[in-house]
Amino acid sequence: MIRARKLCKTYRVHRRPPGLLAALRSVIRRRYEEVRALVDVSFDIAPGERVGFLGPNGAGKTTALKILSGLLYPTSGSVTVGDFVPQERRTEFLHMITLVMGQKQQLLWDLPPAETFAMNRALFDLPRREADATQQELVDLLEIGPLIGKPTRQLSLGERMKCELVAALLHRPKVLFLDEPTIGLDVSMQARVRDFIRRYNESTGASVLLTSHYMEDVAALCPRVIVIDKGHLIYDGDLRTLARRIRPEKRITMHFSSVPAPGDLDRLGNCVARSELQATLAVPAAQVTEAVRAALSRLPISDISVEDPPLEEIMQEFLDGQSANGGARSA
Amino acid sequence: MRPLRHYARLLAVQMRTSLTLAVQYRFDFFLEGALALFWLAITLIPLLVVYSRRESVAGWSFPEALVVVGWFSVLKAVLDGGVTPSLNFVVEGVRKGTLDFILLKPADAQFLVSTARFEPWRILDFLGSIAVLAYAFHRLGRVPSVGDFMVGLALFGVALILLYSLWILVVSVSFRVVKVDNLSYLFISIFDAGRWPIDVFKGALRLIFTVVFPLALMTTYPAQALLGKLTSAHALLAGTGGLAFAAIARLVWKRALRAYTSASS
Repeated sequence: MIRARKLCKTYRVHRRPPGLLAALRSVIRRRYEEVRALVDVSFDIAPGERVGFLGPNGAGKTTALKILSGLLYPTSGSVTVGDFVPQERRTEFLHMITLVMGQKQQLLWDLPPAETFAMNRALFDLPRREADATQQELVDLLEIGPLIGKPTRQLSLGERMKCELVAALLHRPKVLFLDEPTIGLDVSMQARVRDFIRRYNESTGASVLLTSHYMEDVAALCPRVIVIDKGHLIYDGDLRTLARRIRPEKRITMHFSSVPAPGDLDRLGNCVARSELQATLAVPAAQVTEAVRAALSRLPISDISVEDPPLEEIMQEFLDGQSANGGARSA
Repeated sequence: MRPLRHYARLLAVQMRTSLTLAVQYRFDFFLEGALALFWLAITLIPLLVVYSRRESVAGWSFPEALVVVGWFSVLKAVLDGGVTPSLNFVVEGVRKGTLDFILLKPADAQFLVSTARFEPWRILDFLGSIAVLAYAFHRLGRVPSVGDFMVGLALFGVALILLYSLWILVVSVSFRVVKVDNLSYLFISIFDAGRWPIDVFKGALRLIFTVVFPLALMTTYPAQALLGKLTSAHALLAGTGGLAFAAIARLVWKRALRAYTSASS
């Protein structure tokens, strides 16, 4: 469905030191710097696949999405989505894709979302009955029936994002580019948006490409991740595999009925968090069973759970490791 | 046929949206209408001042010059009501990156940005300007012949194309330099010179206002046509000039889209 080969994107950025004098100087003589947003990035995405783009701020994730959706021209390299070159902006291509940006909105600010929906229906030249049915279906799924008649500016951030999704999916696209669709939303709203995206993907077979700062989003939605750092693709594969490779350990969290004797804990594994009646141990995956058994027999356990280490930590460690030794990995 | 119907429907939807936006805030709607008429009255002041001391300027009598002003005001009403709001919308879109959404729609981007916004209350401006034109002909004591009127109407079309093309060129610049507020002020200030017949200007200015920023083609020639003073060579020049500008604007717009960098997330 999507094929990117050796994508490069270089921006020319005007740079100057802070201060009035520097600003004045830059009026006369501008200094430009080349910023390489993407360097030789290649990947393929199959129809119906859900893939997460991960990477720190400024890694090149949004640039990649914008090239894939045809908004930006790559400096070099090639990209096709379906049978189309995105930058040609062919009608069939634009009918096939959609781009949702958590930071920007297409809803008309002073008018109710229903007006934007009507506008998009005309723009995509959708038959009235078909568009109405799709709109109703999406509105029901997202439970926003009473909202679409209220002026957009009176809606909350989460309500607006749900309406954005309806506006973006009215033409039933086959490829979804989602750039931080859950940014700024509370936890329950994030979960509902995620759930909605998954359902759309499962019912329509659309491919989903998602960037998010919330690892939860990516972990819940995307079996496969592409990690980009400083414009380079540094990992492409299964998220769990990456997690296990970086941190081949589990976290055992224990709650105690009374304060355990000092020393008993340390013998079980590396203690990463500790309070009076609670402790979290990091234990190699292979030794988890042994450690749990030992803990249950030696310590005054009231509750115990075994989990993977937080993805945020793993990703941080992965990125730190990458910047320390350069190099690219892939699954 | 289908594309044509699609675009007609799009235009209708865009106009409906603008109208809905305009009446959303009632107070603003009436205020803008009153302001429109006020500015039309202001436009007449310089002319009244100049002609209070003499009978004619550069061969143009007061009622004849009033035809030019009336014509200029009609054009300005169309510019302010139909072109400027849309193009301001694009300039803002470029700066904030919301132009992304326009470029992602399956319709010609130039059409979409050009029809994005209208200011319906400018219709008052337009009607007021027609009244000025009517008064000018009343003062002249005659009406344009059918032939002159038709040429005038055709040149009105040419003038609109010219204006629009020039605006598109200005907007295309915004893709590269991002902030063009001042450029649009410059544009409007130069356009203001169109209230005077071209014969008022001498030398380089006259050449510039005929060829580079063709004010003559936009206001003087159509007014001359209505007055029955325009030669067919000049009419042809205006027509060719209009088409040439439209072609250049389209080309520059296409190239400018390539330079669009979007705003970061």
